[in-house]
Amino acid sequence: MSAPATPPADIAFDLVDHHGTPVDAGSWAGAWLLVQFGFTSCRVVCPRALTKLTAALDELGEAADTVRPLYVSVDPDRDTPEVMRAFLAASYPRFTGLTGTAEQVDAAKRAFRVFARRRADPEDPDGYAVPHTAITYLVDPAGRLARHWPDTTDASAIVGDLRALL
Amino acid sequence: MTTPSMLDAAQLGHLRHWDNLSRQLPHDWSLMHGKGAGEDDFGSYRFQLAYMIYGLALTHRHRLPAAPGVFRPVIQRLIDKLLMPDVWLYWRDVSRGGMVMNAHLSEGYHEEWDPVVRDNIMYSAYVQSCSLLHDALFADERYAAPGSLTFAHWSFFWGGEEKRFAYDRDSLSEHLYWQMVENGYLGIACEPNCVFQICNQPAILGFRLHDMITGGDRADEVVAGYQKAWADFGRLDDTGHYNQMILEDSRVVAPNALQAPWVDAWCGALMNTWNREFVRENYPRQVADFLIPGDDGTISVRSTPAMNVMGQTVVNDTCDTGWVAAWASEMGDRATLDGILAHVDRYMGPTWRDGGLYYPRNDTPTDGEGHRTEIEPMTGNVLLGYARLNVPDGLHELYQQPWGPEHFAEPALTEVGRDVEVSRAEVVDGVLHARVRRLGAGAGDEGAVVIGRLPASARLRIDGQEVGAGDAVRPVPEGLRIDVAPGTAHDVELVP
Repeated sequence: MSAPATPPADIAFDLVDHHGTPVDAGSWAGAWLLVQFGFTSCRVVCPRALTKLTAALDELGEAADTVRPLYVSVDPDRDTPEVMRAFLAASYPRFTGLTGTAEQVDAAKRAFRVFARRRADPEDPDGYAVPHTAITYLVDPAGRLARHWPDTTDASAIVGDLRALL
Repeated sequence: MTTPSMLDAAQLGHLRHWDNLSRQLPHDWSLMHGKGAGEDDFGSYRFQLAYMIYGLALTHRHRLPAAPGVFRPVIQRLIDKLLMPDVWLYWRDVSRGGMVMNAHLSEGYHEEWDPVVRDNIMYSAYVQSCSLLHDALFADERYAAPGSLTFAHWSFFWGGEEKRFAYDRDSLSEHLYWQMVENGYLGIACEPNCVFQICNQPAILGFRLHDMITGGDRADEVVAGYQKAWADFGRLDDTGHYNQMILEDSRVVAPNALQAPWVDAWCGALMNTWNREFVRENYPRQVADFLIPGDDGTISVRSTPAMNVMGQTVVNDTCDTGWVAAWASEMGDRATLDGILAHVDRYMGPTWRDGGLYYPRNDTPTDGEGHRTEIEPMTGNVLLGYARLNVPDGLHELYQQPWGPEHFAEPALTEVGRDVEVSRAEVVDGVLHARVRRLGAGAGDEGAVVIGRLPASARLRIDGQEVGAGDAVRPVPEGLRIDVAPGTAHDVELVP
């Protein structure tokens, strides 16, 4: 059944960050949240998105200081805080990883209207992948969805939008 | 632009029939009842209303671009009907589940009155796309007004408080978009758990129209996601026909197992909007499986036997003949379309009523000589007219080539009385060319047209003679009003 899917408005979630600290949407007071969902075993979509967003934040310069980039796992079975910390520190150090129990992650997915569903993947060492929504979300300091971009949007367009909004 | 031809008598007859149906009194669905009960199946009012609107949009876009006054009021009346509870109340029951393919999930479903809030893309996408067609084709904001698409029902006899759900073109489109996102762009279900390829195509058209109006790029995003999501399952089944649907819970795909013509034809006609090469590549082989050559160039469309499920024979308006005709028109397959039209004209009882042309419902499968005679209201009221009025790639062009602001600055017949028939209306090299004919003796505005968006110092010619202001022609705030003289058709030209 498709749940009623009104556009995301007031964003709420309860997760843990990649240090194991409980966090919610208000944990970064005054910051804009740049949110990408994914999973660390993702071979194509996530590396591409995280690389693009890192480049966009680099280009944004000092204004990026008001933005908190968050990478939310849709694969909590594998993406423990330790796994996410190691993954992000190695390649995408701007990002803070968020994960949680399956129930916590499901609630976060619902809040952002994110699709993710496990399926078999013989090329994955664990035998599965988690195709997911590749939209990037921007949440304003009041906790409201301010903007979102499909994964086809390039870094310069995102920079332009961020400059207009921040 | 070029206009393929002046409208012929049959085309004008279909337009008049749609106008007639749009004027029926509230809750009067005369001539529109199909075989099924409860507005559940493919011949339901919602489909007839929506495809009349699509047909009107195609005709305006491609054949009578300078006659918004012919189309706008009809489309508005049809949308009014599309919003009536008679059309959407089925959802209160269907939302509970219980069909063969979702019976195991029924405990998770509940009665839902709001007909667009979840699933039911077989209705919501038509409200969305039809309202956006109106606003895109007439450069209007009518359905942007809050509450302009409101679903309301109250009965004196039962049900307590009024049920009222207010949307507009933007909020509804936004709502459908986020359902698409949440479903991974695979599509939104019709009946719970059943995501049909066909019924998600109108939503994509709606997103495209919304992009045209607002400047977004949702359609491209949704199409890219849709392509990717369906790549896991294949758009075609093992026999090369369109997969019918996918079950959300199990991700099991239902092929076009019976090779039902309507599945391929409906899907192909609509998907040609954004996926032209793919649709055209598969069309010749697919359609060949459905056609039966007859005498003297006639072609009929075969149907599959009615399904038998749970000991019950499924009663359904397949609309196979109508959908294959509509598909052939979109593909520009003139030979097939002409053959089907020749068959329906010979064996399916073309009927003129109040100036309108239609083919009345006939439940008898064949005549004594085996010629197919069965025809549903959806085919006889709507789809044969749609096929006659469409042009090759009509929907494709509507999707790909929106009218720009220059179109809406050109002179046009902005108001057309009910008693006036318009068979030509286009602007060529700055000159408005129209052919108008008075049908009867309608009084006042019924026998008049108004040319709006007048260029400065424009000169009016009627039947080649320059005409100045007088009894039959006079300035009005909207432009220039012309009382159409009875008799034969008149050629009207407005020269800048």
